[in-house]
Amino acid sequence: MNLTRRDLGKLALAAIPSVAGISSAQTAAKPNRSYINGVQFGLQPFCYHDLAMTTENRPVLVQRLVQNGMGMVELHATWCEPRFNDPGVNAQEAREKLRKWRVTTPADYYRKIRKEFDDAGITIFSYYVGFNETYSDAEIDSTFEAAKILGAKGCVGSYGLDVAHRLVPFPGKHAMFLGLHNHDNLSDPDAFSTEASIVKGLAFSPDFKATLDVRHFTAGNGDCVGFLERHHQRVSGVHLGDRRKNNGRSTPFGEGDAPIIEILRLIRDNQWPIVALLEFEHGTLRTEVDEVRLMFDYCKRAVA
Amino acid sequence: MSNRIELFLFSAAIIAAGSALAQSAAREGYDVKYIGPPMADPVLQHSKETYVLFGCSYCHGLYLVARGEATDLMHSRLVGRDDNGNVIGPLLRAGIPQTAKLSPMPQFSDLSDQQIADLVRWIHYGRQQGRYKELTEAKDTPPGNAASGKAYFDETCSSCHSTASGLAKASRAQILRPKFVDAPPSWKLDRITDTQTAAARQRHLALLENYSAEDVANLLVYLQGVK
Repeated sequence: MNLTRRDLGKLALAAIPSVAGISSAQTAAKPNRSYINGVQFGLQPFCYHDLAMTTENRPVLVQRLVQNGMGMVELHATWCEPRFNDPGVNAQEAREKLRKWRVTTPADYYRKIRKEFDDAGITIFSYYVGFNETYSDAEIDSTFEAAKILGAKGCVGSYGLDVAHRLVPFPGKHAMFLGLHNHDNLSDPDAFSTEASIVKGLAFSPDFKATLDVRHFTAGNGDCVGFLERHHQRVSGVHLGDRRKNNGRSTPFGEGDAPIIEILRLIRDNQWPIVALLEFEHGTLRTEVDEVRLMFDYCKRAVA
Repeated sequence: MSNRIELFLFSAAIIAAGSALAQSAAREGYDVKYIGPPMADPVLQHSKETYVLFGCSYCHGLYLVARGEATDLMHSRLVGRDDNGNVIGPLLRAGIPQTAKLSPMPQFSDLSDQQIADLVRWIHYGRQQGRYKELTEAKDTPPGNAASGKAYFDETCSSCHSTASGLAKASRAQILRPKFVDAPPSWKLDRITDTQTAAARQRHLALLENYSAEDVANLLVYLQGVK
């Protein structure tokens, strides 16, 4: 892939959290294999449905990402954190052990993980964490710190307004962003689902960014293009996939109602530093690697 | 739906999906590792593929071991109440938009009746297989109570089995899944029109989907004591 100096500049800009105050020299991005015609692509590796998200499977994940031509990933914490729910250990005990592990794990543990991805030419863009009310402050701090060591620019998760509000003090302390990821639950007043709910969450802190899941936003009858036009400065990334409106089912790319092509061209033509993270929940008889390849090809054609 | 119509539809489905076995085996891009090798019964194979293609396996698991917050179809009472799609079908068409969960169950209103029937068939098949495994491989089985077993037999079994004495030597596996239930599907007219056996098969499979470990233990103790 040939990148111009301008492209590199754009990549570097994309890597700078809006309020982090980190110099571009510190975050200068290398050419990335999934940077295509002005759009930085990556993968939400939930896509590999057959692959349990465990520390043991991480090497396979890295291998598949390379196979799929991905140079960027949103890494779920479970790829890094051990599980303590062995037989005979009750849930509360397991939770306590995990909490202790999080606050005591040395930085070197995460440096080694980062090296695995670095060596494969993969940037960890964001760290997907299931923050909830059981997290202690120390645990939240440790998680942000871990994410930072991994090279992530922010933490993202599927929490609601209440948990997001509690997280306000944390991302700024670590010069990172907190991503608000929406689903399509329109009946839960705490959920991020509509434009209004996401805007409400973004107002909590300038360190908060939207991780717009276009599949769920479409299923919730949201207007993805309009949302990006109005709020692109507060959007760190999109989870890119397809679904039908009215709480419809997930579909292969191009068979649902999500305006995937329009979204990608908006990002490309406006040079927005919004990372397009491919994700799918639709069914396929193909292998996940084959399906991701098809999705990525669809996106490449969209920005060609 | 009468048994005759049901059998006709079943046969039609078999014909429609007749070549699924060969197609699946030969088709490029068929993930054998995840979906498994093509099954001997082409109708079931087609149902399984439909279940995968419409994304059900993503949340509910190919063999009904749920992921994340998805409903556990293996143990769902609602699925246990379903008779040939009368509960699951409308639910699939409407989805569950009002929910406390993060992601509501999507609606599948655009699917054909045949596709819905395929999904229903696979869900029941997966549940029957899974429950059988659970109930036969359980390590800590309850001791069983003969009086409760008799009450269960009188209420559930006696309409077909006029006496319990013929079942005195039945093993756990035979109670759960009598041999005739697994007879290979046939298109022979005498089999297709044998509605009594078809109804008995369906009844036993429905029971298998809903037995608790206690029910089975009680039945076993009761039947073993019958003279």
